[in-house]
Amino acid sequence: AVWASVEFLGFLCSLGLGGLSVCLGCFVCLVFFEKMAALNEKKTCSQRMENFKRFVWNPDTGQLMGRTLINWVWISLYYVAFYIVMTGLFSLAIYSLMRTLNPYTPDYQDRLKSPGVTLRPDVYGEGGLEIYYNASDKNSWEKYVTTLHKFLSAYNTTAQHANINCTSEKYFFQKSFLGPNKTKYSCKFTSDMLENCSGLANSTFGFPEGQPCLIIKMNRIINFLPGNGTAPRVSCTAQHDDFSPLELQYYPVNGTFNLHYFPYYGKKAQPTYSNPLVAVKFLNITRNAEVTVVCRVIGTGITSDNPHDPYEGKVEFKMRIQD
Amino acid sequence: MESLSPMFGPDLNFPRGLTSARAAEILARDGPNALTPPKSTPEIIKFLKQMVGGFSILLWVGALLCWIAFGIQVAQGVASAFDNLYLGVVLALVVILTGIFAYYQEAKSTNIMASFSKMIPQQALVIRDGEKREVSAEQLVVGDMVEIKGGDRIPADIRLIFAQGCKVDNSSLTGESEPQSRSCDFTHENPLETKNIAFYSTTCLEGTATGMVINTGDQTIIGRIASLASGVGNEKTPIAIEIEHFVHIVAGVAVSIGVLFFIIAVSMKYKVLDSIIFLIGIIVANVPEGLLATVTVSLSLTAKRMAKKNCLVKNLEAVETLGSTSIICSDKTGTLTQNRMTVAHLWFDDQIYSADTSEEQTTQSFDQSSQSWAALSKVVTLCNRAEFKPGQENVPIMKRVVVGDASETALLKFAEVILGDVMGIRKRNRKLAEIPFNSTNKFQLSIHETEDPNDKRFLMVMKGAPERILERCSTIMINGEEQPLDRERAEAFQTAYMELGGLGERVLGFCHLYLPEDEFPDTYPFDTDSMNFPTSNLCFVGLLSMIDPPRSTVPDAVSKCRSAGIKVIMVTGDHPITAKAIAKSVGIISANSETVEDIAKRLNVPVEQVNKEDARAAVINGMELKDMTTEQLDEILINHSEIVFARTSPQQKLIIVEGCQRQDAVVAVTGDGVNDSPALKKADIGIAMGIAGSDAAKNAADMILLDDNFASIVTGVEEGRLIFDNLKKTIAYTLTKNIAELCPFLIYIIASVPLPIGTITILFIDLGTDIIPSVALAYEKAESDIMNRRPRHKKKDRLVNEQLAVYSYLQIGIIQSIGAFLAYFTVYAEQGWLPNTLLGLRVNWEDDYYNDIEDSYGQEWTRYQRTYLQWTGYTAFFVSITIQQVADLIIRKTRRNSIFQQGLLRNKVIWVGIVSQIAIALILSYGLGSVTALNFTPLRVQYWFVAMPYAILIWVYDEIRKLFIRQYPGSWWDKNMYY
Repeated sequence: AVWASVEFLGFLCSLGLGGLSVCLGCFVCLVFFEKMAALNEKKTCSQRMENFKRFVWNPDTGQLMGRTLINWVWISLYYVAFYIVMTGLFSLAIYSLMRTLNPYTPDYQDRLKSPGVTLRPDVYGEGGLEIYYNASDKNSWEKYVTTLHKFLSAYNTTAQHANINCTSEKYFFQKSFLGPNKTKYSCKFTSDMLENCSGLANSTFGFPEGQPCLIIKMNRIINFLPGNGTAPRVSCTAQHDDFSPLELQYYPVNGTFNLHYFPYYGKKAQPTYSNPLVAVKFLNITRNAEVTVVCRVIGTGITSDNPHDPYEGKVEFKMRIQD
Repeated sequence: MESLSPMFGPDLNFPRGLTSARAAEILARDGPNALTPPKSTPEIIKFLKQMVGGFSILLWVGALLCWIAFGIQVAQGVASAFDNLYLGVVLALVVILTGIFAYYQEAKSTNIMASFSKMIPQQALVIRDGEKREVSAEQLVVGDMVEIKGGDRIPADIRLIFAQGCKVDNSSLTGESEPQSRSCDFTHENPLETKNIAFYSTTCLEGTATGMVINTGDQTIIGRIASLASGVGNEKTPIAIEIEHFVHIVAGVAVSIGVLFFIIAVSMKYKVLDSIIFLIGIIVANVPEGLLATVTVSLSLTAKRMAKKNCLVKNLEAVETLGSTSIICSDKTGTLTQNRMTVAHLWFDDQIYSADTSEEQTTQSFDQSSQSWAALSKVVTLCNRAEFKPGQENVPIMKRVVVGDASETALLKFAEVILGDVMGIRKRNRKLAEIPFNSTNKFQLSIHETEDPNDKRFLMVMKGAPERILERCSTIMINGEEQPLDRERAEAFQTAYMELGGLGERVLGFCHLYLPEDEFPDTYPFDTDSMNFPTSNLCFVGLLSMIDPPRSTVPDAVSKCRSAGIKVIMVTGDHPITAKAIAKSVGIISANSETVEDIAKRLNVPVEQVNKEDARAAVINGMELKDMTTEQLDEILINHSEIVFARTSPQQKLIIVEGCQRQDAVVAVTGDGVNDSPALKKADIGIAMGIAGSDAAKNAADMILLDDNFASIVTGVEEGRLIFDNLKKTIAYTLTKNIAELCPFLIYIIASVPLPIGTITILFIDLGTDIIPSVALAYEKAESDIMNRRPRHKKKDRLVNEQLAVYSYLQIGIIQSIGAFLAYFTVYAEQGWLPNTLLGLRVNWEDDYYNDIEDSYGQEWTRYQRTYLQWTGYTAFFVSITIQQVADLIIRKTRRNSIFQQGLLRNKVIWVGIVSQIAIALILSYGLGSVTALNFTPLRVQYWFVAMPYAILIWVYDEIRKLFIRQYPGSWWDKNMYY
């Protein structure tokens, strides 16, 4: 239950101390401005300077900025005590807040009713996600390939070795913590499941050929069961039908997210969990034209019609491949 | 005279006057005979002025900064740039709307005022082309011959060439209430003192006169005084100075925190442009947007309340000025006194009786059983030419309109009150002959039949200057019996006469004589010219003395001013003796204090030998004042607590006011005449009389007493002090949450957490939930008797002092911030974002292209999902501030007393405020939660209670603070914690 990490307590303390010093600074400023404002009367400049000097240090009364030294000590002590108590109260409150939290699932998930969908490579231009490149110019597509390789490095066999092989086509419910160190098992997802788009056989993901592979990822939501028993699948369409219909190849077959990757039990229960992916290979992209593509994840419980959220249940991007 | 003669023609008594052509010529040269109205500021200037006061400037600067930030952000392509634009627009709107409101308020009072000055066009009887004609007074020119008679207003400055029993009332010019006689004789070098000049705007009380116009329009004495007033600059009101001081503090704090965090931001490697945006954001966050509106509304509420108590405030800020007043320079006539002669004392049977002089008298309670009184009352009733205007039977006697001079009116009313039906008595005692009062014989007599049918004697009654009357008497009536007037009796008379005269009263002597039946039979032809009847060896009946008595409410009001630490100085044009008598009777000079002269008289030593510091009171004559240096005047103002200035000129009034202001006093001046207007203008707050006041006085004043009653000033002072206290509370209340609005931004910069509260949300607090509660504080009752403490020191007791700012900003404000942050962290934590995850998250969080950020539980969030959560955070922060502002509102009800002493339910408006606050929050969260532009979301019910413990903490902490302040007055705690 040591959710309240040392880091955060450290933050609180520094916040308290920082706050204290800022506040004492403010205090001096306030006193200063109060007096300065009071000095602002019709007086000559030298008189004002004289008054100001007297305010900063008054030799007659031994007052430094309107207070004697001992008085400053007292007021500082008071504020130190006040802020210590306040920081303490706040830390206590945060601590008890942490105690009430479930370490595995957040109390509320009402903001995550439907998962977001993202695209890899995620390169953004002026108008959002943009895959613009020249097939014959290596420099123009190399960044996409690097991004994909980097992204898929989390899915190589060594990275996935801690996860188990799952074959069932059903939700992988786990009631108890059977995994090592009181965790739950996560299913393996290795890049080779993406076949032609795994980057293993074709390390350029088809970019120079003008048939690029793009990867669709669905955001994790704890205990979310997509598809209601049927595996959700990715479906990409061109926004406008000016061009010939898209010819696509999905990997794994049918572009589905296998149900055994769901539900997700959270970072604490499944520390090695990795999102299942779907790769889309675009086979007939019209050259030298901008094509807007929308890839939706289709399945019960996944909505993609939220007018405010362009990434809920779908991802939209533009492609232009030049010769 | 020689230069005048061509116009008179052969006979001086039948002047021909100017020719019409010549008059028209002069009129064209000199302009109409009217006072140039004071330059009224154009309405648009007045309106614009409302928008550039101290506070408004702060808001304008804030708006400007917002637009600058908007410009920068638009250039950068930041999506949220429009927030700044809107904020700037809202700030500007606040200033404009508040300006309109204040302008409307003041315009309303001006309208009420304007309704007073319905001037009836004045007519003058002028001789032109050798014939008399009525012309409008405006057409008069220098050299015109005019005729005036009793009841007329003098149409211009006039040198008299013929006068018969002419008396004028110069009170509007000099403040002197005594009628002045006027003749053709040149009696004094000083035009104000000489008897042969009658002044514009004064009234002729009786007699007739003919004179030549010597000055018209602005050249007249009154015109010159009026222009003196327009030359006096308007001082800043104390509240304006206080608000300026407050703005300085707020601006200073804002700029220094802004710069501090600018440096921090730059050293944290933020881009400089971003840091500038932060700087602007911090400065703008410090601007209390709602305060301008709140202060204006509070002031106008008080102004309204004062208007109900007959103080009409012309200038909203003057509402508070009255509260900080430390010296009131009051005019005597009309303000302290009733401005009508009333019988105050009687002397008969060798004894002085006091009469009731209150405004509402219906009976007189002195001993009326003596036969002497019966005789005296008969003389008073019969030897009197004043009459009630008919048709006033249902009007209270004191309010009836009388034709006749002031003394006769007083006597008539006095008789009417005691005897009733004076007119009937006069009818039954038919008047046979009469000699009216004139200045040579100084008496008035009349001869009557008696109402007793069996008594065939005639009764001769006479009244006049007491010494003249006594000369004509050989007997005196004691207990209804005639007794010889020996030396002893004469001395008793002298003592009584001196005593009454010493009270500043006008004394009249009364005597009578029953004419023997045998010498004066029924048919005796009385002839007033040859005086064929005895006018000596009469029987002295008694003395009556009259005074313009103080208003009955005044002594009480003066003593209240005393206990409120306000010095009341009487400044009058009247005689020192009368002034002193009135001062004594109203308590301006208290019963046991003496002037230097009094001490000298008591000790029987010359005035020079008296130690001046022994004398608390001082009566200064205008002539003495003329020879005084400023130091001497200062000395008098400092050394004497009870001062009366008599026979002062308008310029001297100005000097006195300036003298008081040199002592750092806030000076209120009351007055009604044109002569008062320069002083009214010079004063920190000029108070004019609504009924008796001249237009010039009303124009120069900041406040108008609708009932002309000095006592209304005291209520005004009370209201003024209360609003000062309550404004303090309002400001403390408003400033507190500023910290809770600023801290999120600072933490956002330093700890890079998602923004806890947005600009629009802050505006909904400042201009939404907090407005009604802060106005409600204006309805708070005083904590203790505010009329029992000294007026605040202009330079020491500030509206916003160090303690207030520090306590609000650094203590309560901090508690509030902590409470609100707890709610913020709770909302995020329960949605999966634990506090430690939030630290340093800002850049990713705000990245529109980062749509799968992991929370603490491993879930991934899109940008919009995060934004919605951020708005939920805003709402939670907003709700927490609102909840804690409820606690803040309750603690601000008092500054020293416990809330339980003050009573939680006494101020109902506070509860309206609290309910409105919560209702607005509910509507914003649940009603408008779906309007995305407002950044509110429907909040889970439990989040409303997260900050509750901190709200309670605020209350408890403040109760402890107040407890220690009460327990240990003067202690370190008291000095540092009492604001």
